Amino acid sequence: MNLKEKIEKHLLEVQKPSRYIGGEVGSIIKDKSKVDVRFAFCFPDTYDIGMSHIGMKILYSLKNSRENFWCERCFAPDEDFEKIMRENGIPLYALESLDPIKDFDFIGFTMQYELSYTNVLNMLDLAEIPVFAKDRTNELTQIVVAGGPCVCNPEPLADFFDLFILGEGEEVNLELMDLYNEMKKQGADRMDFLRKAAQIEGVYVPRFYEFSYKEDGVIEGVTVSENAPKTVKKRIIKDFDKVFYPENFVVPFTEIVHDRVSVEVLRGCIRGCRFCQAGFIYRPFREKTPDTIYKETKCLCENTGYDEVSLASLSTSDHSEIDEMLTKLIDYTAGERINLSLPSLRVDNFSESLLEKIKRVRKSGLTFAAEGGTQRLRDVINKNVTEEEIMNTCRIAFEGGYSSVKLYFMMGLPTETDEDIVGIAELAQRILDLFYSIENRPKGRSPQISVSCATFVPKPFTPFQFEPQDTRSEVERKQKLLLDSVKSKKIKVSYHDPNVSLLEAVLAKGDRRLCKVIYTAWKMGCKFDSWSEHFKFDTWLEAFEKCGADPSFYANRRLEFDEILPWDHLDYLVSKDFFIRENKTAHKSVTTPNCRQRCSGCGVNKAVGRECFC
Amino acid sequence: MLRLRATFEKTGRAKYISHLDLNRCMLRVFRRSKLPVWYTEGFNPHPYYSFALALSLGFESRCEIMDFNITDDNMPLEEIRDRLNAVMPEGMGIVDIAVQQKKITAIAKAEYSFSLVSEDSAELFEAVRKLTEQPEILIEKKTKKGIKTVDLKPDTEILGCELNGGSVDMVMRLPAGTQTNYNPMLFVEALKKSCSVPFETANIRRTKILCENNEKFS
Repeated sequence: MNLKEKIEKHLLEVQKPSRYIGGEVGSIIKDKSKVDVRFAFCFPDTYDIGMSHIGMKILYSLKNSRENFWCERCFAPDEDFEKIMRENGIPLYALESLDPIKDFDFIGFTMQYELSYTNVLNMLDLAEIPVFAKDRTNELTQIVVAGGPCVCNPEPLADFFDLFILGEGEEVNLELMDLYNEMKKQGADRMDFLRKAAQIEGVYVPRFYEFSYKEDGVIEGVTVSENAPKTVKKRIIKDFDKVFYPENFVVPFTEIVHDRVSVEVLRGCIRGCRFCQAGFIYRPFREKTPDTIYKETKCLCENTGYDEVSLASLSTSDHSEIDEMLTKLIDYTAGERINLSLPSLRVDNFSESLLEKIKRVRKSGLTFAAEGGTQRLRDVINKNVTEEEIMNTCRIAFEGGYSSVKLYFMMGLPTETDEDIVGIAELAQRILDLFYSIENRPKGRSPQISVSCATFVPKPFTPFQFEPQDTRSEVERKQKLLLDSVKSKKIKVSYHDPNVSLLEAVLAKGDRRLCKVIYTAWKMGCKFDSWSEHFKFDTWLEAFEKCGADPSFYANRRLEFDEILPWDHLDYLVSKDFFIRENKTAHKSVTTPNCRQRCSGCGVNKAVGRECFC
Repeated sequence: MLRLRATFEKTGRAKYISHLDLNRCMLRVFRRSKLPVWYTEGFNPHPYYSFALALSLGFESRCEIMDFNITDDNMPLEEIRDRLNAVMPEGMGIVDIAVQQKKITAIAKAEYSFSLVSEDSAELFEAVRKLTEQPEILIEKKTKKGIKTVDLKPDTEILGCELNGGSVDMVMRLPAGTQTNYNPMLFVEALKKSCSVPFETANIRRTKILCENNEKFS
């Protein structure tokens, strides 16, 4: 029985079987005998989530645009199908060819969130590929690689991967595959390849870097071998308007999380919110022209048949030509009966004319990230939004017919006091009062203010990377305080599980010694940690204890400015000096203007060799 | 306006597309084809199309029926067929396209073929024969009003039952449409209950959609 027959024999026993058999419109089938390099693009979560990831769509199309490369997709099977796979000896396979991914040249993972780490191990195991890099043969095959935002601190994953790709993948992925192809033909082995690969800018080969630790657990130093660079620089695309963008997406049969065309309008962010990793690791700020955005939107809608488009960016309203862009897009989408949605709008530049435009296409809820409950705290985190602006925006929204508003906050932020927590409830109350004070408010509908409160997770490559996370008991106390401070039933509060946030902080800021912990946790049954029904915090704690690691060392300790951090040998173009400077400014409750107003010297312009804004 | 009826196939990997997903899939097929399909005129306009019968997940067919309207009266039917086929997913395609003749409510029956695979196929064959010769075949059927016991016997026409090596190949005509709808898996269930021979059901296909007088529905 071949693998396809084996799969099909059991497919009707599982939920949503179309996730496991491929054949979607837009999926790319090639003749494997005519292909030089095969790449399995793995997303360490289920199909429904992974298929929504825009990075996969870009790299999938890009690699397949090269005739001699074949990139296929692979996802984590849900529990029911994993059981069948293990019971029937079905190894993890790719969806285009239905070939086992262990036969591929590259097995590439995208690391989008820390709580997907155990899924990587589980997928490698299901694929019958040794989980630890050191246990793989020296043959040039099965190169296990990873990219994505989490690899800005890849140390907790270092033992499992042959190499990491830092920064934007459009160019470096092809360079790596070309190098592999060339060296394969020369009969090179894995080590030969890794040595050469380490010389490509943006490629980090962890086995060439060795860490030593001081008695107190802090890093003492890093020894580099095999001529690998002392610091590895992330890659960026210089001409973003011309960067490759897919003309087609794989269109799934089953409904996925983001089941629509999504078009990237800009990369990077001018804002510099001090907690936000994306705001720093994706610098410099670059945008596509309205014309490019329009062309890509039209092309994708026509080829996929989707009737919904969403614009992807960290902050769409920061596009310098937003009005022109939206006018162009709405002219097209309205004529074709396509829905346009605009996530990532900021409070401060949410104009009446912009709202008018959005209203023409949809009328769902409005979401604002206020992040802090008081002005003082918003200044600390550099969320340059004033209460007046929040109120103004809400007024425009209410007058425009909206009756529900969703607000995002964080708790456990540096310098936070109880006053700031109570401030969240008070701000929500003032917005509610505002609703009732408006004469032409939407009639007959009850207002709803949803307050969603996340726990602050300090992340590498942010000014707050040095900050400790609140302990669990402190977070729980603050959550209760917030609940007690809310006086109206029309204000709905939701918050995150503090245990999840703790693990996130540990894995985000962890070092190489955590590989053992992740391995142990996975062995003890942890996977799908980002799914609340699967998250086993007690098992994780047990794994830490077994490995002699202390989660609070990573999450709840203030890092010294002069300490060697696990990610100090990686260069994301923003300097550590800048982060230190910003951290000190934060503690003085002083804000930093956005990049368009004034350059704050983060270092990215020097690294790129040109000013971000002329 | 052209009121059209397409006969389409759903075979191979496409058999794993659920009925709900098929709906979404067709919407995108129509959009990709850029055909002048008629849109509904409600608050939320969308292309109008409707399927005559739902096909169970895992069943194959080359006789599925879908109705839709084209606003351009002069468009040749071959062009419509070709433009749809050019943008169909693997395993799906228009077999035939024609102007609607009968009302959907004219559908009364459907034919199915399937194989019962067993290591002990001779004994299974015997069990099938015995079951079909019973005066009644009672099975519990889930309906909107709850579970009720139905007798499959009066409405089930066995058109074929052959022992072919390791499998018993069946052809069966069952009531279908808006009134009564029997899934061939009901018969399989009844068989499972009535005999102890282990078997698996394979290659389930809907082969015909018929009117009351056994004429092809069109």
